[in-house]
Amino acid sequence: MSDTRRFAGIDVGSLTAQAVLIEDGHTPMLKAIGVKFDARSIRVKSNPLDSARTVMGELLDERKLGWGDITYCVSTGYGRDRVEAEGLAQQNMSEISCHGVGAFSLAPQVRTIIDIGGQDAKVIRVDENGDLVNFVMNDKCAAGTGRFLEVMSRTLGISFEDLGPLAIEAHSRIELSSRCSIFAETEVLHYIQKGVNRADLASGITKSMADRVMALVRRVGMEKEVMMTGGVAKNVAVRSELEKMLNVRMIAPHIDPQLIGAYGAAVLARRTGEAS
Amino acid sequence: MTVTTSALEEAVRVSEAVENEYVKRWKEGGGQVVGYSCVTTPPEIIDAAGLLPYRIRALGNPNTEIADAHLARFNCSFCRSCLQLGLDGTFDFLDGLIETNGCDHLRGMFENWQYVKPVAFFHYVKVPHQTTPEAMEYYTEELRLFAKALEAGFGTKVTRPKLKKAIERQEAVRSKLREVYAMREGDAPSFTGTEALSLFLLASAMPADDYLALIDRVIDERSGTGITGYRARLMLCGAATDELELIGEIEDVGGLVVTDSLCYGARAFWKPIRTDLEPIEALAELYLKEMLCPRMYEDFPRRRDFVIDEVKRAGVDGVMVMHNKFCDVHGVDNVQLRLSLEKEGIPVLQLEKEYGSKADIGRIRTRVQAFLERIGDRS
Amino acid sequence: MTILAGAPRTSREGLFERVIAMLDMVRSIPDDLSDEESEGVIALMPPDVAETLEGFLNPRVRRASIAYLKMIGKWMDEAREAKETGKKVILVPFNFVPELIHAFENAVPLTSEVLTSLGAGAIEGKGHRYWDYAMGLGIPDHLCSSSTIELGSMLTGQDFEADAIVSSTAGACDANSKIHEFVAHYLGIPQFILEKPVDDTERGREQFRRNFYRLVSNLEEYIGEEISEERLRDVVENCNRAAELHYQLWELKKNVPCPVPNLFSFFVYGCRFTMWGRPEAVRCMEVMVEESRRRLEAGEYPAPRELARVGWLYVGYYIDYNGLFNWMEEQGYSYLFDVLDLFFPDPIPTDSRETMLDGVCEAARRFPMTRQMGADSMSVAWIDDAVHMCREMNANCGIYCGHHACKQTWSVISIVQKELMDRIGAPTLCLQGDAWLSGMTPMSRLQGDIDEFMKNVVIKRRRVHRPLR
Repeated sequence: MSDTRRFAGIDVGSLTAQAVLIEDGHTPMLKAIGVKFDARSIRVKSNPLDSARTVMGELLDERKLGWGDITYCVSTGYGRDRVEAEGLAQQNMSEISCHGVGAFSLAPQVRTIIDIGGQDAKVIRVDENGDLVNFVMNDKCAAGTGRFLEVMSRTLGISFEDLGPLAIEAHSRIELSSRCSIFAETEVLHYIQKGVNRADLASGITKSMADRVMALVRRVGMEKEVMMTGGVAKNVAVRSELEKMLNVRMIAPHIDPQLIGAYGAAVLARRTGEAS
Repeated sequence: MTVTTSALEEAVRVSEAVENEYVKRWKEGGGQVVGYSCVTTPPEIIDAAGLLPYRIRALGNPNTEIADAHLARFNCSFCRSCLQLGLDGTFDFLDGLIETNGCDHLRGMFENWQYVKPVAFFHYVKVPHQTTPEAMEYYTEELRLFAKALEAGFGTKVTRPKLKKAIERQEAVRSKLREVYAMREGDAPSFTGTEALSLFLLASAMPADDYLALIDRVIDERSGTGITGYRARLMLCGAATDELELIGEIEDVGGLVVTDSLCYGARAFWKPIRTDLEPIEALAELYLKEMLCPRMYEDFPRRRDFVIDEVKRAGVDGVMVMHNKFCDVHGVDNVQLRLSLEKEGIPVLQLEKEYGSKADIGRIRTRVQAFLERIGDRS
Repeated sequence: MTILAGAPRTSREGLFERVIAMLDMVRSIPDDLSDEESEGVIALMPPDVAETLEGFLNPRVRRASIAYLKMIGKWMDEAREAKETGKKVILVPFNFVPELIHAFENAVPLTSEVLTSLGAGAIEGKGHRYWDYAMGLGIPDHLCSSSTIELGSMLTGQDFEADAIVSSTAGACDANSKIHEFVAHYLGIPQFILEKPVDDTERGREQFRRNFYRLVSNLEEYIGEEISEERLRDVVENCNRAAELHYQLWELKKNVPCPVPNLFSFFVYGCRFTMWGRPEAVRCMEVMVEESRRRLEAGEYPAPRELARVGWLYVGYYIDYNGLFNWMEEQGYSYLFDVLDLFFPDPIPTDSRETMLDGVCEAARRFPMTRQMGADSMSVAWIDDAVHMCREMNANCGIYCGHHACKQTWSVISIVQKELMDRIGAPTLCLQGDAWLSGMTPMSRLQGDIDEFMKNVVIKRRRVHRPLR
């Protein structure tokens, strides 16, 4: 065991699990500017514990470290309490706090975080200290979550990753009239049968998605600066649509936006671990 | 070998059954039971008629398949759950059913229940939504008619002395509940929110005299004890909820529920009855004029002030306002309440939920935990 | 700074102003617009407006539509003028007697649901943004769009604001009552409540009368004017005339095929909820009676045969007038009435102020929704009315719109459905769709469901059971 203190974050979500490790002495800043932090992401296993063990285990193996080298670990995501209960983490924090802290640590000027994952969409407000001020989470409806985009890309016969780039190519958007994801799917099928331009349709899907997210933003209000996190943040068309609607340019995180929850957990681990 | 259980354990155990042993014993002794649901129904009148007043509950029952053939999925799931228990035989021990126009869902519940599987005695107490002099007069008369209907239906007499006696008895129960709530106000509360809800539920599901004997033992047992190590003190506001499990989840995450303004809670007993009025008028005053329910119009400021006072009194760190999906009266009132509390600088979590839904629990936990992380940690 | 994104920035973007701007375009068109002119007008409009106008300017309904839109234009003008001249604008719900407000010299009624219906049908974006604004405040999405769209616009603080609110849905609809209360509180304007006890006994009626008279005196005090007998008489005489025409239209509807176009049902209650008691409503009703008579004499019906006579059990859909009302009659499905037509006006004796106020009070007690869902039982009075009307109009099926905010009707629709079948052998279709938000269930889907029900249930049954007269 070395003297270096290492702080970890494990985020077990509904589709993917991430692990992040930051080391003592390194300001947890951006990899892009040469600061060291290690991360790993996997598809989830059958239960959150396996996911946590695997994702952190692989990361530790890569660094030739063992679980005992972790000074303090915070778990988050839907499996967070089981991960803690099993002793894989000392503490668990909600993904809402972790995304807030993660985004704030990457860009202290951020005040509003839009986090869209596979099943949840959240809008999180933090203050000038990075503390949670308010948040809102979508209801059970799929519209406005990554799931909606996934279903729609399948209906269009393209991959999830290709939806954004395709939408950017649109010449004239075809707006979907229905706000319900089930009816919207029927509507998209109807347009496909009519033989409309797919890029125009993709653009309409993007708009519909952004509309749903806007409904959440309205609930808690928006304060500049804004950052988008979670898997859907990688969709360029949704991002730019939201920027247009909010009339802001969003901060682009310098790390994979899907890692921000785990990263926030690691930052929290460091905060608590260093204090103790 | 005798296993001694504490009075509280006994109370909690009894409260977990719809038809509990006290109800069974009452029935075996030839007693009759009259069910009511809405907090605007005075149980005193049922008690005065020599009947056991029983407040309808669903205890978090998530099954609604029989009820869903009658009420729609756009109806509140609490009412659907209660209807389910009405139609599946769980409430077969009821000899009478009292409807009130508490809200549209509740009216629908009673109407379908009576349509599909009528209870032998049925009466509808019509409750105004205002407290104008005309409304007070009307409601007072409604209470007189209620007593007469019980007399005719059960062949009893609701005399003035009987009514006075029943009022005393029920007021004693209500005052014990106030005592239980007061014991939660200090730094180390004597009861968790889940325990307090159990004690509340029991109060409207067994004979008052038996309840008084039991609750005295519980209070004795818990006096001087206290809960510490919780993360934050919470107040619950909003719709009808008798979900022990839900409050358990909230407390499991570290939020100790120390008070509420719930329909299955403080709303039913917060105010002592006036003793300077004629019995029936005192009841009308208590159950209409003092009713802190969003079904009452033009009365929001009073509901808001009650919550703000309670926050101060019980040292509340954050307020959770909840409503069951499709509940309009609480759904809208909660927005006003949230805006007002935020103005006062009181942290609020507004939550829309499905009654008794296990599927919802994970999402609720995440939100509650984030709320607790937001408002800080006492532990 | 916190920004509530999507809020209108000027009053020009509020629902009221946008509806009035749309009506300004209609105001100048002649009463007897030709087909060619009609096409020209439609071509000038943005798509959402054009779609609605296309339905309204269909030759079958065109004359009545123009009369209706002009009446609505006048009604809204009066509200705007009232603001300028210091009169009070009283926001009322659809189930309130506007004639009571018309009886005041210094007040005008503005009906939130009518404005929403115009907005949902006839302005660009169909009113979604106002709904979104209300949702942004945290108003739950199970509230009723009929009031929330217009009130959402008012909540932005940028739209035309009423001076006071009358709420008369306590006891008949929680969603409506609560949003009115919220808006009054949020905007800090007075609210007057007219409660109908859920009690139709003599005592209940008397209680309603007392509540009504309390409201009248509260309004008199607020407006600063006692209702004059003379003005009230003018108003009541117009009410009586409109009521007569209303029953004439009902008589005409009894003919097979029905000579009264489906859309007239909507126009009738549009009159009832806005300008009832005013000559403009009488005029609009007259045009509808004239047109229906003419069609009866000419034997006009848009489909080869009338295949079904529908008692529409609750409200209609106001997201696509052409797609619902006109489309149905083109398929041979006559829309005979919906619940909003069921206000059963009695002639009001004009002897004295009291007889007239008593008459208006009784009219208020009989208002749609008040008289059905606000009755002793939510289902019994509704079933009685539906059965009575289906018999009167020889309807052979029922359709329930299934507007998701209507908790009271959803509560008892299963009972209504069963009773209609048991008592008159009429099957009922339960649709699901928001009546004012086009983004919920698309009209194409609703049409599909209606068509399937007609072809597979109603028409087959008719062959077996009872042929239409």
